[in-house]
Amino acid sequence: MRARISPGLLAGYVPGHSWLHRAPLWTKFAGVLAAGAASFMLLDWRASALAVAAVVAAWLSAGLGVRRLVAPWRLIAPLLGVLFAFQWWQQGPAASGRIVLNLLLCFLAAALLTATVPLRELLDAVAGAARPFRRFGADPERFALAIAIMLRSIPVLAGSFAEVGDAARARGLERSVRARTIPVVLSAVAYARRTGDALAARGLGDADD
Amino acid sequence: MKQKSAPAAPAAQGTGPRRTWDAQSLALVAVFAALIAVSAVIPGVPVGSFGVPITLQTLAIVLTGLVLGAARAAAAMGLYLALAFAGLPIFSGGRAGLQILASGSAGYIIGFLVGAFAIGLLAELVIRRTSPRRRGLWFFLAATAVLVVVIHGLGVVGMVVNLKLAWQAAFLADLAYYPGDLLKNAVAAVAAVAVHRAFPDVLMRRVKAPEAAAA
Repeated sequence: MRARISPGLLAGYVPGHSWLHRAPLWTKFAGVLAAGAASFMLLDWRASALAVAAVVAAWLSAGLGVRRLVAPWRLIAPLLGVLFAFQWWQQGPAASGRIVLNLLLCFLAAALLTATVPLRELLDAVAGAARPFRRFGADPERFALAIAIMLRSIPVLAGSFAEVGDAARARGLERSVRARTIPVVLSAVAYARRTGDALAARGLGDADD
Repeated sequence: MKQKSAPAAPAAQGTGPRRTWDAQSLALVAVFAALIAVSAVIPGVPVGSFGVPITLQTLAIVLTGLVLGAARAAAAMGLYLALAFAGLPIFSGGRAGLQILASGSAGYIIGFLVGAFAIGLLAELVIRRTSPRRRGLWFFLAATAVLVVVIHGLGVVGMVVNLKLAWQAAFLADLAYYPGDLLKNAVAAVAAVAVHRAFPDVLMRRVKAPEAAAA
């Protein structure tokens, strides 16, 4: 189960030096927001198709490649296909095309952001997003600390789920949700308390005042 | 499509009366955010004679509310969402990024955040008002009420807004999740009782301490 999580962790980012890679993060984020807003404002399927074409052109011009553009669609294509057929039946082909294309637009724009910004930079930006809230009592350092603890806990808990799953299987309880979760939860709380004690012992995590 | 630029930033603040959290709370918030992430990504548990797999994510979210209480549960959920939006593949099925807000799951995602807070609020009320023997039942009822009203309610709204489905179609699509969710709520209630029995200082003493001080 550990293996399921780790390889995908950095899969989104494609290293490169294109204009999109160099563009500041906030412009790309604004682009994603604009794509989201557009999905409500574009009411003609031709306008939607044009917007999708523009995002695809941006993707290709950044040297991200056709294969990476298409790969995630194997997962989503069946769902979009069902939605397209259903909406065609409900609202006709033009409206159905517009709905599916607008969804595509949002997906592509967001994928463009994660493909051109390294995960570490994104996480830093997330931690930095707490900075404007400092005057309301937010603390970016504690927020960054929480992110670090969470990232460290993910493999620990995944291992715990796997262990408890094996134990349940050995007792013939692999179909019992109860037998497979409650030990994990108890050990997670115990783990959190050990972590909290360790933080307190080092003077971390408590408020400075 | 509802956009939230920095969902965890406000959630990471103090809890109101208590201005900031101690190290224990910080660790609990971070570990439960990780628990939500892991339970979304690991394969589901096959249940019953048909072996239909059910994912454990809603179980983890309900449990977070029941164990941590309102403010810290919302912070854990916010932390999870912030990292998932930033590109960590910890949405169900290994998805990540802001794309999710354009999909049919968007309503559930927002419902999880509101729902964790609401379940936490009710859990604090249950701990304060009911006898320990009935606590499991009340936990289950509180979680189920929030699940039906908040999480499934917003889930249906999300499908209507994003997929432009009719209300009836969205409602029918949502209905399929009910049996599994009721089972998960029952497990979450039992687990929460076990946690509060084993670790009374996680939430119970926090909730009851002001009363003891006043008495």
